[in-house]
Amino acid sequence: MIMFQINQSEENIIYYHGPINIDLVSFASNYIKKYILAEALFIGKIHKVFIELTQNVSYYSARQYNTSRSFGSGIGWFRIDDKKDHFAISTGNTILKEHGSVLEKNCMEINSLDEEDLRELKRITRNQSGKRDIGAHIGLIQMGLITGNLLSMNIEPQDEKYSSFSITTKVNKC
Amino acid sequence: MTLNIKRMKNLIIDAIPDSPYYPEVNFNSETGVCELVGESYMEEAYKYYTPILDWLKEYTLEMKKPITLNLRLTYFNTNSSRLLLDMLDVLKKSQEAGNNVEINWFYEEDDPDVKDEVEDFEIETGLQIKMVPME
Repeated sequence: MIMFQINQSEENIIYYHGPINIDLVSFASNYIKKYILAEALFIGKIHKVFIELTQNVSYYSARQYNTSRSFGSGIGWFRIDDKKDHFAISTGNTILKEHGSVLEKNCMEINSLDEEDLRELKRITRNQSGKRDIGAHIGLIQMGLITGNLLSMNIEPQDEKYSSFSITTKVNKC
Repeated sequence: MTLNIKRMKNLIIDAIPDSPYYPEVNFNSETGVCELVGESYMEEAYKYYTPILDWLKEYTLEMKKPITLNLRLTYFNTNSSRLLLDMLDVLKKSQEAGNNVEINWFYEEDDPDVKDEVEDFEIETGLQIKMVPME
């Protein structure tokens, strides 16, 4: 079942929980472009961040929804909140427990770098990746570059095998 | 005397309104003008870009004619950027082999990130990319 909730709270613009595939990402990203009230510059950034983050859920969620399509329908959630001085874009999904430390390490590295070092890391990562590599790491680097803000992540254990992963980044309004 | 005229098919992939994550492709083997238009954030991007890369390799190796790549992408995700880099690498090799290569990157003026993106491609490939504001 696909269910959107709009105005879950006063500052919440959009919230969804369920299987996320390319057509849903495309639909929601077009919704963002059409209906979020902000300058084009900020909408463009939200749009880019949203696609990278939701595609990570789609590809890498440990819980996948089986559809007629063979690729990428990970179960997870996304939300966008309209805060006073920024937009917060968040996603979450289930991960295998052993992937948590890698994600944590990647986020910490990205958060520790300035813009020039991030660009260099992006170039190196892109060059080293294979054609089939979808690139969660480079996607997170790109988040840091687009927003100029830190990535905020959280990992909570679910059971012996799985954890809940969530990530939030901000797009400043000025 | 034999006249050896090599011919290649054009590569044309029309835009799909229901799937706006695929860019429109129009590569013309007669004129050497190749265009990618729209957005690019499909699943398994390498599958979409493989025939594009194959066409570019064949054109640059077999036809040995000037080529102009016009990129009119309003958005591309990081996975697509890896494949764009591969396309530019093919053109760099062609340029090093003595062929005339021109790359135009059309950009929206309210996109603050595109300049750095293009500069990174230039650093990685050693190619010069002309930035052209979209009308």
